[in-house]
Parts: sequence; C-alpha cells; structure tokens
Amino acid sequence: MSDELRAVTNLDRLIHEPARLLIATILSSVASADFLFLQRETGLTKGNLSAHLSKLEEAGYVQIEKTFKGKLPLTICKLTSVGKSALKAYRQQLQSFMEKTS
Amino acid sequence: MKDNFVDVEQRVKRYWFKDGIGELAGGGLFVMLGLFFAGNEWLPSNSLARTLLDSSLILVLISGMFITRWLINLLKTHLTYPRTGYVEYFPSKKNTPSRRTLTAVIAMSVSISMILFGRVTGSFNWISGFTGLAVGVILIMTQAQSGGRKFYILGVFTIVLGLTLSFSGLSEVYSLGLFYGLTGVAAMLSGGLTLARYLRENPMPVEESNER
Repeated sequence: MSDELRAVTNLDRLIHEPARLLIATILSSVASADFLFLQRETGLTKGNLSAHLSKLEEAGYVQIEKTFKGKLPLTICKLTSVGKSALKAYRQQLQSFMEKTS
Repeated sequence: MKDNFVDVEQRVKRYWFKDGIGELAGGGLFVMLGLFFAGNEWLPSNSLARTLLDSSLILVLISGMFITRWLINLLKTHLTYPRTGYVEYFPSKKNTPSRRTLTAVIAMSVSISMILFGRVTGSFNWISGFTGLAVGVILIMTQAQSGGRKFYILGVFTIVLGLTLSFSGLSEVYSLGLFYGLTGVAAMLSGGLTLARYLRENPMPVEESNER
C-alpha cells in the first residue's frame, strides 16, 4: 500500500463523514451554536442531525447543553478541545494527502 | 477542500449581519448623535437646556452604546434566534486591555490634533468630512467581513456626505448634526429593509424547532 493510500485509511472516520465534518467546521468557527442554527446551516433533518451530534458527543468532540436565552429554550452545541484537535489533525492529514496526490 | 472550509467559516461569521438588526440599532445611535448636535445648534446659548446638553455628550455616547447593545440583544432574542438559530461568537482577540488602552490613547491624540489643527487653520468645517472618511472606511472594512455590498454603498455614502457638508458653508455643529442624522437614517433604512426581507424569508417556525 502506498503512503498516500495509507494516509487516507488513517483519516478520522468520525470526522470524515460529510455531515459531521460540516457540523464540526461550523462549530469550530464559533464559540457555540444551537440546534436550530446547525439544522438550517447543514440542511439535515432533526433526526439526522441529532444522530450525528450524538456520535460526536460520544466521541467527546462536541459538548451539548440545554439552556435558556430569556424564555427561549436552546440546545447549545460546542466543539470541545478534543474535537478542535481532531478537526485540525483531519484537515492537516487531508491537506497533506491532496499535496502528495496533486 | 480548503476553500470549502473557509467558505463555511465565513458564512457562519456573516450570520450576525443577516437580519439587519445591527444596522438598525447602530443607525439609531447615529440619529441620537445627530439630534444632540442639532440641539446644540438650535437651543439658545445661555439656556439651561443648552448647558445640560453641552455637558451630556459623554453620557449620550455611553448610554447610547449600552442601549444599542441591549436593543440588539433583545431584537435578536425575539426575532432572529427563534427563526434561524442562536450563535455565540468567540470574543474578539483584539479586545484586550492593552488594545483598549491603545485605542483610547489614539482617540485622544486624534481629538487633540483635530482641535489644534482647527485652531491653527481657524476653521472646524472639515470635521464632518474627516468624520465621514473615518466612518466610511470602517463601513467599507465591515463590508469585507459581512460580505454584504450594502456596507460598501453606505461607506461611500458617508464619505460623500461628510465631504459635501464640509464644503457646504454650514456651521460645523450643524454639519455634524446633519452628517450623523442622515447617516443614521440611511443605516436604519438599510437595516430596516434587510430585516423586512429576513422576516419575510424566515417565518417563525410553527412547531417546536429547537429540541433534539
């Protein structure tokens, strides 16, 4: 197996999934965002987004908290430091793969 | 791929400007400043109202900024977050104590230089032109951050307005009042139209939309 292919197999599959990659990228550019914002930005259904968030939460990449802004109930999602490191590593791996193959 | 990451990040950062509430509230602050300068021009110089007004600029500015911030938060909580979601941005890295001190020192130096320059030239009529340039540059810089062309148009408008008022022959206080008032009205108009479009395009969700 070539080094390039090995690099692809080493990619973090949890982040590599397009919907989760989009969620992680959105959350990396803000301190936090709520469920509705993520749903609108990703275009995912509630059930789908919920499932992806649960996977990210289980891996410790995302922290989810139910709170209120005034009387408005919010499900706030934050990328944890583990999640930030995972996304950074994934982007570096991907960039390095693209440089080697292009 | 890198471009896609950047696109997503920029789109998220532009979300703050999507509803026009910032322009609406900021425009209101400018209108308030315009009324302050207009009052300064219109009220008799020996009246109590004029004396009170003269000594209240700092109060008007500080209370205006607090009210603007409170209003933005209130409107976003009631109009934006239930429709398109809540986002909390990272605190600005530029907002450090040393940066704030530096900004205050620069602002004071600019103010003193402006007063000295006015005394030397014997005229303060250029102040509205200078203010127009400063506000215009800030608005054009905001355009790059927000991605909306309207900030570029507003920036050019304030520059042209400031320079026009500088050469209009009106008194400096009246020019400044007109500058702030008209800039504020323009910003409120732009923000109002943006908000109307935002509300039309994003009706309030009927069902409970924020539950996992």
